[in-house]
Amino acid sequence: MTAETKEIPASYATAKAFCLTSAFWMMVATFYGLLGATELIAPDLTANIGGIVFGRVRPTHINLVLFGFVTPGLLGAAFFFIPRLLGTPLYSERLGVFTALAWNAALVALVATLAMGLTQGREYAELIWPIDVAVVLVFALTFFNFTMTVARRQEKILYVSVWYVLAGCILTACTYALGNVIWRPNSGALVGIPDAILLWFYGHNVFGLLLTPLSAGVTYYVIPRATRAPLYSHTLSLLGFWSLIVVYTHIGTHHLLQVPVPTWLKVVAIVDSVAMVIPVMAFLINIWYTAKGKLGEIHADVGAKFVFTGTIMYFFVSIQGSFMALPDVQRVTHFNNWVVAHAHIGVLGFAGMIALGGIYFTIPKMTGRPLFSRFLADFQYWMVLIGMVGFTIVLTIAGLIQGNAWLNGETVYRVLPQIHVYYVTRAGLGLLIFTSALLGFYNIVRSLLPQRGAMP
Amino acid sequence: MYFPYFIAYIAIGLVVTLTLFFWALRNGQFQDQQRARFLPLRDDDGPPVRVSRWARLQMHGLFFLVAAGLAASAAVLMYAAYFN
Repeated sequence: MTAETKEIPASYATAKAFCLTSAFWMMVATFYGLLGATELIAPDLTANIGGIVFGRVRPTHINLVLFGFVTPGLLGAAFFFIPRLLGTPLYSERLGVFTALAWNAALVALVATLAMGLTQGREYAELIWPIDVAVVLVFALTFFNFTMTVARRQEKILYVSVWYVLAGCILTACTYALGNVIWRPNSGALVGIPDAILLWFYGHNVFGLLLTPLSAGVTYYVIPRATRAPLYSHTLSLLGFWSLIVVYTHIGTHHLLQVPVPTWLKVVAIVDSVAMVIPVMAFLINIWYTAKGKLGEIHADVGAKFVFTGTIMYFFVSIQGSFMALPDVQRVTHFNNWVVAHAHIGVLGFAGMIALGGIYFTIPKMTGRPLFSRFLADFQYWMVLIGMVGFTIVLTIAGLIQGNAWLNGETVYRVLPQIHVYYVTRAGLGLLIFTSALLGFYNIVRSLLPQRGAMP
Repeated sequence: MYFPYFIAYIAIGLVVTLTLFFWALRNGQFQDQQRARFLPLRDDDGPPVRVSRWARLQMHGLFFLVAAGLAASAAVLMYAAYFN
């Protein structure tokens, strides 16, 4: 059984704009990460420069990675494959390019306002109200463009990637508005424990209902195409999709197990965190069975290689996340660098890898030419992989030292010298990631520009 | 008083999700699943690529990282259980 081949006339202007956005902001975001890591080694380095003190650098790094690098990268791939899966051109390339421009304007405002100290002071939800509105608006515009494309589709069945991308856009628009308490422009917050519950409902969902579905959507497209094999089971993929929707929305409170939130809510959060094994394994079994016996083909395509590696990291971060929701495990792993390691596996190792893979996989298909440099892309792959695995190792060790110290009632000042060497190593690895972002940006820009003699 | 927000969100979420689910059910989205498996393969990519020895080596390297990660995860779990 084969599906018929159809040519979709398209300029891919929107997809290209989002790919460029991702490549550019990856440089800025990783620079902020490197700066923050350096400040942890030398706290006085930027003491008199208000705009780049650690308290402003960290939220800038996180928000830029999330909304500047990873999400646009995944959307860049989605703007390529959604029209192809639906057998119709994108509803409006003009609207798509406008969305990309508005997205970039919001990112510039994000950097400027955080540097000025304009923040709502809630972790992951620091952005001030006008930028909150802009974020919701760009997600709504993206959703509208995709939905109208779906409405005009020639293909009756919605492939699972379409489900994931649509859900990722609309759920993020809703979750972002709710989690940032957008109806209270001055504070962007409720009060007390209810605010903590709402904040972590958002804080976890911004990964689980944005990065996870978009990454799953890209993977479900890239792996079958790269292996030239049909998906192992479309039914299983839909089961994974719907179980993700049911389960993921409840787990944010596992960030608050040591806080006086209602016990029933903690129980729901823990049970559903463990139940995340269902959508995760449904996804991974499906992808890995599709790729079974074809790993060589995957590694022969640098985009697919990024994506497949992302699925392996997804396995780790998800299993880790389920266990970290257990109170006994959390006694050691919470409030220390273990969580930072976990976040880096998830956002860089899983979603970031898949975003880069989506970009590298789709650019040759958009331009009709090979990448400017396959070597540079491969080099970037290994830099990101080594940097990310290195982050995981050193931050996990540092986290265990800290967790053990907290359990034994140690004071912070006695622990800091013990973890200093790990912070130095982490900053070195951060330099690797930042350098890889520079190489990636150059490669992506040259790949999108008309070429005069490509490299091997 | 935070319950109204949460209840409203749960109610809206449930209604939208169930509406979509039943739309999908009636629209035949859960039928013809065999054909759906082939949808990404609409586009022709040309002849298959050759698998190089380097690609195989990379695969083994990745497998080593996976095994190391699994071992580290198991070690941490045992560590956490020990301190409990």
